[in-house]
Amino acid sequence: MPDWRAYVRDRLGSLSGSRAAEEGDDVARELSAHLEEFHAALLANGTPEAEAFSQTCARAGNWQELRREIISAKQEGTMRDRIRQIWLPGLITFMASYFVLCLLQRVGARPLYSHPGEPVGVIFYLPWLFLLPLVGAIAGYLSRRAQGDGWRVYLASCVPVLALGALFLVLFPVSFIVDKQVPLQTKVTTLVALMAGWVVLPGIALCTGVALQGLRKRQPIRRR
Amino acid sequence: MIRTELKRGTAELAILSVLENGPLHGYEIGRRIEQQSGGALHYTLAALYPLLYRMENRGWLHAEWGTGQNGKRRRSYRLLPRGRKMLKPMRAEWADLFRALRRVAKVTHA
Repeated sequence: MPDWRAYVRDRLGSLSGSRAAEEGDDVARELSAHLEEFHAALLANGTPEAEAFSQTCARAGNWQELRREIISAKQEGTMRDRIRQIWLPGLITFMASYFVLCLLQRVGARPLYSHPGEPVGVIFYLPWLFLLPLVGAIAGYLSRRAQGDGWRVYLASCVPVLALGALFLVLFPVSFIVDKQVPLQTKVTTLVALMAGWVVLPGIALCTGVALQGLRKRQPIRRR
Repeated sequence: MIRTELKRGTAELAILSVLENGPLHGYEIGRRIEQQSGGALHYTLAALYPLLYRMENRGWLHAEWGTGQNGKRRRSYRLLPRGRKMLKPMRAEWADLFRALRRVAKVTHA
């Protein structure tokens, strides 16, 4: 009996593209299982070994085309998965979290300061922080519904704070040009305070929501 | 003998149709299609598997590894509601095409 696994591996080579490469072993196992069964069926029907081998090889088709098509199919899936598991829930979380903040500010929610009276300090919007787990849970639900796994779900929920964090990091070097008179220590402290109040704490709140949503057991779908 | 290009177009409908009655692994999908079409439709791996992966990505099929009757690991494909929903319009589309071909090219049933 030919080693169909080795045969497929030889011809398929290593698949490029993140998902195709990750699943390369599974693909090779699946294709070799197909050829193995096809070959076994031919032998069982009385086809001579050499003829069965040649028919099985022909059944594979063009290996270059197969390789190209598999990579393309897997990449198509990767793009689609990223959009459904990260970017779409991330966008919704982004809009929802800042909509909630605007709403709270409209109804008169006041921020808390870690160092009242000081020019720099961590700013807390407590009601916002308490509501963010709910927003995180929505992101978790949307991402998991699209078969998102661990880190993708958390990344989707953290899009709002990561965007803000990136903005702060971009603006930090700009402050050296714009605010030349402000001492470096003040600038660094301000960056740390902004990161803590607008990135780390809200990020923790969002991730808490994702974690809690993950704990919820899936209810069986009732069919009519 | 049906040409490869023609067969390719039929593969989606053929795969969804054979999966309508229950999950099957790749080899079995190919075998059923060949058997039910009287040998007219048989797909190479290059035609079958990329399409299965695409259909899985679109949420038409769900694939999972399991152990077959012979004790070997097999990846079987199950039709999802979204895939089942595609069957009706696809069948209607092919029926339209055959009607049109009958009118234009005088194609008749054998």
